[in-house]
Amino acid sequence: MTVSGIIKRIGGVFLVLLGVMLLIFIMLRIIPGDPVSVMLSEHVSQETIDRIKISMGLDRSLPAQFFSYLKGAVRGDLGESYFLKEPVVDLIAEAFPYTLKLAVFAALIAWAFGIISGMICAMFNNSFPDYLFRGLSLFGVSVPIFMVALCLQYLLYFKLSVFPLSYDGSFGSMVLPAIALGWNSAGSVARLTRSSLMEQLGSPYIDTAMAKGLSYKGAVIKHAFRNAMLPIVTMMALQFSGMLSGAVITESIFSIPGIGKLALTAIQTRDMPLLQGTVLFTAFLIAIGNLLADVLNALLDPRISVS
Amino acid sequence: MKKVFSILLITAMVLSLTACGSKNAGGADGDEKVLRLALNADIVSMDAHVTSNDYIVPMNVFDSLLTIEKEEDGSTKIVPSLAESYEISDDGLTYSFKLRDGVVFSDGTPLTADDVKFTFERILTLPESVQTDFVVLIDGAEDLMAGKADSLKGIDVKDDHNFTITLSASFSGFLAQLATPSTCIYSRKIVTEAGGDFGNICEKTIGTGPYIIKEWERGKSLTFEANPKYWGEAPSAKKVVASVMDPSAMNMAFQKGDLDIIDCIFLDPNVVDSTYRNGKYDDSMVKVDRMGTNFFMLNEAVPPLDNPQVRQAIQMAIDRQSILDSIYNGDGKLEDGIYPTGCVIYSNENQGWLKYDPEGAKKLLGDAGFADGFDMEISLDSSAGNQNSNMVQVIQDNLAKVGINASIKSYDRASYLDLRNSGKAPSYLALWLLDYNDPDNIIYTFFGSKDNTVLRSNNYQDEEVIKRIGDARQIVDPDERAAEYAAIEKKLVQEDAVWVPMFSLKHLFIKGDRVESFKPQWAGWSDMYYKDIVLK
Repeated sequence: MTVSGIIKRIGGVFLVLLGVMLLIFIMLRIIPGDPVSVMLSEHVSQETIDRIKISMGLDRSLPAQFFSYLKGAVRGDLGESYFLKEPVVDLIAEAFPYTLKLAVFAALIAWAFGIISGMICAMFNNSFPDYLFRGLSLFGVSVPIFMVALCLQYLLYFKLSVFPLSYDGSFGSMVLPAIALGWNSAGSVARLTRSSLMEQLGSPYIDTAMAKGLSYKGAVIKHAFRNAMLPIVTMMALQFSGMLSGAVITESIFSIPGIGKLALTAIQTRDMPLLQGTVLFTAFLIAIGNLLADVLNALLDPRISVS
Repeated sequence: MKKVFSILLITAMVLSLTACGSKNAGGADGDEKVLRLALNADIVSMDAHVTSNDYIVPMNVFDSLLTIEKEEDGSTKIVPSLAESYEISDDGLTYSFKLRDGVVFSDGTPLTADDVKFTFERILTLPESVQTDFVVLIDGAEDLMAGKADSLKGIDVKDDHNFTITLSASFSGFLAQLATPSTCIYSRKIVTEAGGDFGNICEKTIGTGPYIIKEWERGKSLTFEANPKYWGEAPSAKKVVASVMDPSAMNMAFQKGDLDIIDCIFLDPNVVDSTYRNGKYDDSMVKVDRMGTNFFMLNEAVPPLDNPQVRQAIQMAIDRQSILDSIYNGDGKLEDGIYPTGCVIYSNENQGWLKYDPEGAKKLLGDAGFADGFDMEISLDSSAGNQNSNMVQVIQDNLAKVGINASIKSYDRASYLDLRNSGKAPSYLALWLLDYNDPDNIIYTFFGSKDNTVLRSNNYQDEEVIKRIGDARQIVDPDERAAEYAAIEKKLVQEDAVWVPMFSLKHLFIKGDRVESFKPQWAGWSDMYYKDIVLK
């Protein structure tokens, strides 16, 4: 890992963001659906529609709109939401802590469950614990989030009254959304941990470690697990950036005012500045997640170059 | 020791989580009278001047000069609110108002006639205002909007309590427009001091209404508290929490007792049938007639729908009663005109003429030269819900029986509105729920100008009738007005077959055990006046 390698990658991130900005700008103008029509819905006249279009700057040419957006973006100004009438940067700043809290909580639950169950599967290969956790992880990767959310709400809110139905700001109200969001990731991590660990357990250095007097458990934890972590860490970094950017369903079901919900509102209402802002922001998170995964890989295995 | 500590830590965590959960799951909030409601979507703004959809805050935190009340017989009347009384000049041009004594905004600022003038000037000059149509007939409005005047000439403030409004042309629906939340009254002082924060920041969005908006957590909830300075009777619920929920969560929360009223329009119709129409909730059901017409619009610019005989055949081909019974459990009433039941000037003369007659429809199609039928397209708003798409499918089936091959094309809401506003939707099914109880609200919106006929994709061609609709607004004599509106309705629906009138529906709510009584909004909107909900 070299400093120049990291700088090159950061430069790449900016290029990606510029591309995303251009792409989303063009796509939003190609798809049918006028934001003014959605905003005003049914109960207005053509004069009002025309006037609001001018007040939103939508009467200007597309290149003029794009360059003024780009100019603002360079200065950290992503425009003002058509609907919420607030600067997009402020709206993202307000929403992001909710998404971050949810993603961290979901990641912790998913990874703790995923890694532990993956290790148990690998250590007890082809026995009952392996079958049990493999079954659970398969369940994890195959059941969609909305179904998990509904089942959790039914069981832990409706039947057992343990957790609130939706997010209310308390720590407890974040538990169900975190489980729902982390559910798929837990299954993936468990399956990858199992396969990666089993590959390491077949390596001769495990026999050597045990011949030197280390217990099987010790050999797994101290030697095999560290080497098996490489692909898992990559997956976890990508999962985390995915959780930060893709919690749309979870945030909607549990009424969490995060980035996902903001993006959903923006697409439904064709709120172009807000949608451009949220897409740009999530693209940034994913690019940073990728960069982080590469840096972590390089730290864990010096043979890998970050550039 | 380590193990004991771990057990204690885990126990403490579980207890704290359970405590968090049970507080909210139970929904109790001390001994306060808290009303707990659900919204299907968050509002966009608290400022009535910039939204044509979100009226919860304008309805509960602000007041209009007048308001509309529903009578026992289903008719509606305009009653005083902030305006204690009014008089109309013989020519119908000048309205003299007297404001109620002692009304203050919730921060103590007194309400004056100047605030009314300020409010209407703001509607006309705010760049993003969407409510200009409501006050554009006030004398001088056009000049103010065009920047040719500094103030609204048509409003003359006599003193703190008395003012007159002069219209540029008489309009009998004007009073009804002043009774909508769109024209609720703001304070010049409060709005000017708040600047851009008005409508966005709760502390600065101050009105004269029965509630104060305490908190708006975007995407999550709105919290209201009773306004101790309210001029009217104090509301029963001292606090109202309206939370944004998805339909399944809403249903679960109501079943568990964490919501006090559930609006069945937000729920899956199958859930409503299986859960709430099974007899268990009969005593808790609150049904209100929605003052709105469901209709199937036919675009005259799309051949062969330009042929009136073809449109009449489509009117006869659709089995409306069967749709009402099978999709809506018969919870409504067939409408044969434009104005829905309960609307001022609703005419029984124009009812009862449209019968389901597939054979007659076939004959008409044959006479029009389409004995072998034709192809047409129905545009469907995919966000309009299952019942709407089921209705469209039944219509498709009905049309097939007379030889018309109708294809359904589904659009997301934004694309649908785009298509419809461009005048190019070939046919579509929709509902118009009245903003105010006057026929002008529906007939002018759809057929009152060339622009409006394009915007609503009917492309109605008869310019003489379009002119008559404009002229009818100015008729002052009530009898003459009623006769003209009824005649125009007959011409449009029975002769020109501009649309297939379908029905008006009932809006179903279920109240929970904590609610003593509940009166829905007069037109059957989902937005409620919280003061009309009495807790036990």
